[in-house]
Amino acid sequence: MGIQGEGQREQQGVTVSGAAAAAAPPPVRHRSFHGSGGTLFGIFIVNLLLTIMTLGIYYFWGKTRIRNYVHSQMEFDGDRYAYHGTGRELFVGFLKVAVIFAALFGGRVLAETVWGFVGQIVFGVILYVFFLIVTPIVIVRSRAYRLSRTSWRGIRFSFRGAARHFVRVFVPGTLLTLITLGLYYPFFQNNIRRFLVNHSYYGATPFRYDGKGRDLFGSFLLTVVLSVLTVVVVSVVVTLMLPRLLMSGDVGWLWFILLLAAVFSVLLVVYWFWFSAYLQRYFFGHTSFATARFRSTVTGGRLLRLHLGNLLRLIFTLGLATPWVMVRNIRFAFGQVALEGPLDLAAIRQEAQAVSAAGEELGDFLGVDAYNIDLGL
Amino acid sequence: MKTVWNGAYFDGRSADRQPVRITVMSTGLRIMREDDTILWWPYEQIRQTQGFYAGEHVRLEKGRDTPEVLVVEDAAFLTAVQQLAPGARARFHTPTRRAMRIRLTLLAGLGVIVFGAALYLWGIPAFANAVASRIPVSWEEQLGRQVVEQLTAMSRRCTDPERLKVLDRIVSTLTAPSAPVPYTFRITVLADPTINALAAPGGHLVLFAGLLEKTKTPEQLAGVLAHEIQHVLQRHPTKALFRDMSMRALIAALTGDAGGLASALEAAGTLGGLRYSRKDEAAADRDGMTMLQAARIDPAGMIDVFLVLKKEAGDVPRALTYLSNHPHTDDRIADLRRMAAQARYTPVPLLPEYPWAEMGKICEVRTPQ
Repeated sequence: MGIQGEGQREQQGVTVSGAAAAAAPPPVRHRSFHGSGGTLFGIFIVNLLLTIMTLGIYYFWGKTRIRNYVHSQMEFDGDRYAYHGTGRELFVGFLKVAVIFAALFGGRVLAETVWGFVGQIVFGVILYVFFLIVTPIVIVRSRAYRLSRTSWRGIRFSFRGAARHFVRVFVPGTLLTLITLGLYYPFFQNNIRRFLVNHSYYGATPFRYDGKGRDLFGSFLLTVVLSVLTVVVVSVVVTLMLPRLLMSGDVGWLWFILLLAAVFSVLLVVYWFWFSAYLQRYFFGHTSFATARFRSTVTGGRLLRLHLGNLLRLIFTLGLATPWVMVRNIRFAFGQVALEGPLDLAAIRQEAQAVSAAGEELGDFLGVDAYNIDLGL
Repeated sequence: MKTVWNGAYFDGRSADRQPVRITVMSTGLRIMREDDTILWWPYEQIRQTQGFYAGEHVRLEKGRDTPEVLVVEDAAFLTAVQQLAPGARARFHTPTRRAMRIRLTLLAGLGVIVFGAALYLWGIPAFANAVASRIPVSWEEQLGRQVVEQLTAMSRRCTDPERLKVLDRIVSTLTAPSAPVPYTFRITVLADPTINALAAPGGHLVLFAGLLEKTKTPEQLAGVLAHEIQHVLQRHPTKALFRDMSMRALIAALTGDAGGLASALEAAGTLGGLRYSRKDEAAADRDGMTMLQAARIDPAGMIDVFLVLKKEAGDVPRALTYLSNHPHTDDRIADLRRMAAQARYTPVPLLPEYPWAEMGKICEVRTPQ
C-alpha cells in the first residue's frame, strides 16, 4: 500500500510539472481564508467585555463565536466551511472537567495531610500515570468534538478512532521515546499521525495516511546530530577561550560571548525549523482523501519567516496583534497545502457522529492543541 | 427590490452543490432547482448561521441534525427578506446594523477598561476579604506553612533554641492581655542580612537576621512583632494572598488561558502576593500600638524601630525592602507618637535581665536540624 501510494505520488509530480504540455492537468485545489484581523479583533474585544461582566462564564460562548467566524471565512472549492459547536456544549464540558480537577486537588490535599511526604510522592506518581493515560484520551475526544462540529457543503467531518486504541499508541510511544533517549521520536510521531489521520472522515469517506516512521528517521537523526555537534563545538570554544578572555580584562569578551550565543541559537532554530518543515511535507505528501492526495510546499525558511514575523508583531503591539497573527497563521497554512488529483465530491455521503465536548475542555487544560492536526481539508 | 436570487443548495446527504434560484416570498423562500423541482422553506423553519460579518456568505439551515443548507453570496439578499417578509425579520440578521457594530465595539473596549478597573479596585478585594475572613484557621496555617517553606528554601533557617525561646517570650507577653487568640504564633528566623519581618497566614512570623542585629532593645523588636501579630489577627496576609490569586485567575480567564487558570491556583501562597494596602498598614500600626500598651511595654521602642528603619532605608539600599512595603513612614511615626503620648501607665521593662546584643548572634549558632 505504502509503495503503491509512493508511486502514485511520483507519477502525479511528473504530471504536474509537465502540466503546460498536458491536455487536462489534474485539478489542484487550495483552501483560502477571507477573514480579517480587524473583524476578529472586534469579536475579541466584545468577548472580553462579556467575559468580564459574567465573571468568565461567557468565555465558552465567546470561543464559539470566534470559531464560527473563522470557519465561515475558510473556503475550499468555492464553498465556505461551517462550525456547529455551541457555547453551551463547551460550558457543560468545562463543568465536567472542573469536577475531575476538584477531585484531584482534593485527593492531593488529603494524601498530603494523611500520609505527609510519602503521600505527596505516591500522589505524584498516581498523577503522572493519570495524565499519561488521560492525555491520549483527551487528544482523541477533543479532535472528535471539533471535527464533528465542522462541515463543508452541508457534510460533517468526524473522527472515529476509539480513545482506548490511541492510549495503546500513545503510552508505549511516550515510554519508548524516553527509554531510547528520543531516538524513537520519529516513529512515535508517525504512529500518532497515522492514527489521527486514518480515523478522520469527511462524510462517509476516510482520510488515508501511508507514511513510515523509518522514512523520517534519517532527517531526524541528522537534525539531532547537527544540534549535538553545535552544542559541543560551542562548549569547547567557550571553555578554551573563556579563561584567556577573562584574564585579558577586556570588556570585548562579553560581546564575543553574546555573538556566540546568538549564532548558537540561530543555528539550532534553523535546524529544527528545517526538520519541522520536512515533517509537514512528508505528513501531507502521505495523506490522501478518496482519489486525491495532499501536497505541502512548506520550507524551513518560510516557517522561520512566519514565526519571526508573528513574534515581532506580538512584541511590538504587546500582544494586541493576536487576531492578525491568527489570520496570518491560517493564510500561511492554507497557502502551503494543496489537494491534487481528481475528486468526485458529489459522491460523498453524509455520516455524522455524536460527540460530547468534555474532552475539548480538558484539552484546554492539558494544552494538547498541538495534536489538533490540520487535515489539509 | 430584487426578488429572485442565485444561490447554492446542499441537501445534507451528499456534498453535491446544486445551483438554485431563490424567490423571496412573504411567508417563506421558494427554491427552484435546475431540474425545475421546487423546494419550499417556510421562514419559521429557517435558521441563519452565517452572514453576520462583511465578506461572509449568507448561510441558511433547515432541519435538525444534518440540515439542508442554502447559501447566497450576496448579503443584499437579507435586506430583500427584511422588506418582503417583515414578519420574519427577527430570524435574519440586518446588514444595516453592521455600521453600528464599530461603535458597539469601541463601546465594548471602553467597557472592558471601566469594568476591569472596577473589578481590580473594588470587586476582587471585596471578594478576597469575604473569602479570607470565612476560611478556618487550620487552612490559614497550611497556607502560611507554604509561604514559610518558600522563604526557607531561599535562605538558611536559624534554629538556636535558646534565643528562639526568648523571642517566644516577647510574643507571649504581647498576646497575654488579649488571650485567648485563635492563632498559635510560630517564629522563623532567616539568616538574611535584610532588615525585614513579615507575617504569613495562620500565625507564622518571619524575622530576618538583619532586623535582630539592628534592634537595640527588646522593646524595639516588640514594636515590630506587635505590628506583624496584628496583621495575622486581622487576616491581612490571607486576604492579600486571596486577592493575588483571584487577580491571576481573572487574568487567566480573560486571556482564555486555561493552563494559566491552573497555575493561578498553584501560585496560591506565593510570596509575591503578600502586599498590603495602606489602610491595612495603618490598622496594624494602630492596633499594634494598643497591644504594646496593653502589655505595658514602652511604646517608645516601636517609634524607635521605625526611626531606625527609616534611617537604614536612607543609608543602605538593601534595607529598602521593609519600608517599601510600608510607605509614608513619617506620617506613621507621627501617628504612633500621638498614640504614645496619650499612654497613662508606667512601662514595665521587657526582659531586663537579657543582654539584647546577644540576640544578633542567633544565626551564628549552628544546630543540626
